[in-house]
Amino acid sequence: MSELSNATRPTSAPKRQPLTSRRYALEIRQQMAWHWQALILAVSLIFGLGISAAILIAAGVPGGELLDEFVILTLFDAQSLRAVLFQAAPIVMVGIAGCLAFRARFWNLGLEGQMIWGGIAATAISLFEVGPESTRLALMFVAATLAGLAWALAPVLLKLNLKVNEIISTLMLNYIAANFLLHLVYGAWKDPKDSFPYSPQYRAFERLPEMFDGYSMAIPLAVLVALFAWWFVGVCRAGLYLRFVDANPRVADAVGVPVRKVIVGTVLLSGGLAGIAGFVVAAGQEGRLTQAFYQGYGFSGILIAFLARNNPLAATIVALLVATLFVAGRNLQVFYQIPFSMVQLIQALIVICVASSDFFIRHRIRRIAGRES
Amino acid sequence: MPNALQLTGVSKSFDGFKALSDASFTVKWGEVHALLGENGAGKSSLMNIAAGLYAPETGELLIDDNKVQLKGPADAARERIGMVHQHFKLVKPFSVAENILLGLPRSDGSHRKRLRETERLIAEKAEQIGFSIDPKKTVADLSIAEQQRVEILKVLLAGAKILILDEPTAVLTDQEGERLLSTVQGLARQGAAVILVTHRMADVKRFADRVTVMRGGRTVETLDPQQVSIADLVKLTVGESLPAPAHARSEPGPALLSVRGLKSPEIGGRRILDGIDLSLRGGEIYGIAGVGGNGQSELANVLMGLPEPSEGEIALEGFGDLRTADMDQRRDLRIAAIPADRYGLALAGGLSIAENFAIGQVHSGRYGPFWLLREGRAREETQAAVERFDVQGVRNVRQKAALLSGGNAQKLVIAREFSREPRIVLAHSPSRGLDVRAGAAVHQRLLAARDSGAAVLLISEDLDEVLALADRIGVMSAGKIVAEFERPADRQAIGKAMVDHV
Repeated sequence: MSELSNATRPTSAPKRQPLTSRRYALEIRQQMAWHWQALILAVSLIFGLGISAAILIAAGVPGGELLDEFVILTLFDAQSLRAVLFQAAPIVMVGIAGCLAFRARFWNLGLEGQMIWGGIAATAISLFEVGPESTRLALMFVAATLAGLAWALAPVLLKLNLKVNEIISTLMLNYIAANFLLHLVYGAWKDPKDSFPYSPQYRAFERLPEMFDGYSMAIPLAVLVALFAWWFVGVCRAGLYLRFVDANPRVADAVGVPVRKVIVGTVLLSGGLAGIAGFVVAAGQEGRLTQAFYQGYGFSGILIAFLARNNPLAATIVALLVATLFVAGRNLQVFYQIPFSMVQLIQALIVICVASSDFFIRHRIRRIAGRES
Repeated sequence: MPNALQLTGVSKSFDGFKALSDASFTVKWGEVHALLGENGAGKSSLMNIAAGLYAPETGELLIDDNKVQLKGPADAARERIGMVHQHFKLVKPFSVAENILLGLPRSDGSHRKRLRETERLIAEKAEQIGFSIDPKKTVADLSIAEQQRVEILKVLLAGAKILILDEPTAVLTDQEGERLLSTVQGLARQGAAVILVTHRMADVKRFADRVTVMRGGRTVETLDPQQVSIADLVKLTVGESLPAPAHARSEPGPALLSVRGLKSPEIGGRRILDGIDLSLRGGEIYGIAGVGGNGQSELANVLMGLPEPSEGEIALEGFGDLRTADMDQRRDLRIAAIPADRYGLALAGGLSIAENFAIGQVHSGRYGPFWLLREGRAREETQAAVERFDVQGVRNVRQKAALLSGGNAQKLVIAREFSREPRIVLAHSPSRGLDVRAGAAVHQRLLAARDSGAAVLLISEDLDEVLALADRIGVMSAGKIVAEFERPADRQAIGKAMVDHV
């Protein structure tokens, strides 16, 4: 075939190869230096922001003010920065909770359920006035951690002992937790003051205090969680075990990694961190147990873990980005009457762009000889 | 009878290991031609070349006396060559007809219509050659023997007239095997050319019209099986007895590990391990010879502490039942394991060389307490071990273990497992896939371990390896140790024990 077409072609072949006959090969990269990875990530982020800007301008936001609004106002204004960091704190926690569970090859989709139980446990301590005032907040923290951890216990045991798929069990347990929460806030725990479906407000000493300059205690707590997770996966021996479990559970078992203990421990940790996130939202942001305080966090946590490739420090950065988008979106809504659905659209766009950069990090596109060359 | 397929002067090497050298083979139309040889003799490599899976480095392939070049299995199918592999290549959740349709060239009509047509063809063909098979059944629900029939129907319906069967009876019971071989013989009588890759002398005697013996990558001789005794065939397959290499026998110590009546649970009237008795003594290498698939992998799994159901006794001197020991205890007992599946059981390819080395002793706190892993120290020790055990191709101990070649990966496993003077060494096919030099290095390590008083169990399908290293040899067949030999062992006698009990 190709010989035939060659014969009929004019003798003065064009120098440039026609676009349609060029061929490319897709190869899997072995490794990539981290700064190249960072560059690819940055480019895809900018690409996503570019599309978002175009959409916003089309929706009537003046182009010049966009940069102002998005970057300057969100990150360089003290008030907004506080809001971003404050918003980021629970997101960091669920993101890291996702990272840890996924590293143990456990698809914890129950982050929201574990958060709910964290919130419920903390509220119970407040409601029943357990312990003296000075230790009340610490008790609430501990109770939230334990409750989140306990809610993750059943799925991991079911998976290890009976091979019950954790994707289903954790996801379904979310609904149980959510409906139990509704049962409480519409029933026994309804605020007697105004009969709205939320718990009575926490007392002042039951709320996360502001540290200095209006920065909430939630922020150092999130930093501590990030440091702890970094230590857990990167510094201590369990981190090495976890890498083996993640890389190949059969090898891990054969070389003497206590696979079962590692998986159970890590998943419980994941549940505990989600519980703490529930506590932070309840005691930091809302100041009470509300019926929808957890919504969206489970999805964010999974997304962050995926984008950060289960690295806790990267997850912290991604969580900050997500929080920035969230706060900037809120500002856009307020100042430009941009509908909430468009804010969601922009957030989704940016996430897709960052997620697809993964493809370029893992693959290389190489031009190979054309068909007719 | 005219020649169907002819291979002349074929050579092929993998990673410097010469799998085939100057092999020649001819099968004629209308005959069953057996290809006989030990594991690693090059039978499968040669047949993979005939089936277009590998390209030969030298030599020619002739079909009907015309030279052809196969660029892949699709080319081979066009030349009407069909191969039934030892490990079936079927899509388990698909029905029989769907699996076969996958292998057929694309034709017109809707999928549903083509599926109906295929079902009809299957029923017709099955009827014709005397198979009973339901084309609508899901492959996962079929027995091994039925799956094999599907494989055979698949190549026949794709139009194959030259049929290559790689160890077809290895997975079958005696009766099933007999039925299959008589069917295949029938195909040859109708004019097809059948190549039967096997190591079973009895099958060769009963069903083959001619036999070509392979040894060490060469085709040794082509004979009429009726004119030659089984003893002579064995002799041709395993080669002349070589004088035993220098192998100073050390005085064996007391029994360290005794296995009594080790059985696996009964499945379908068969036990994979069917009453193993053996004892390992310090300062001695106990070799287990045998044709692959006679329970060696299961025995290795049980002894290495991998999940494998078993009953019977495995008593470790001074400890008790070895199966109750967890991996930590096994390390403390200084039991070293070199599994056959390097990247499936010994090394995590995605992790670094240092991590793969350090995991061996990290439990003992050698690289810092639980809360602090001293990676620097682990890397230093890995570097030292890499040098001591001559692991090559390591630019940096932080590089991925998957980047090591087979031989060097094995050396890394040994470096880790031998880093604490082992008392018991369990090695399964330790030099499989390695070139001669790397294999020899592995053998040196096993001998050195023995000389320092360890009890070494060497499970290998490579008879040369067992003969070169073992002080005592047990022959494993159908889940039992059927014969034991003391060094110097008679190669022919072992070869006979390996095949007689199959």
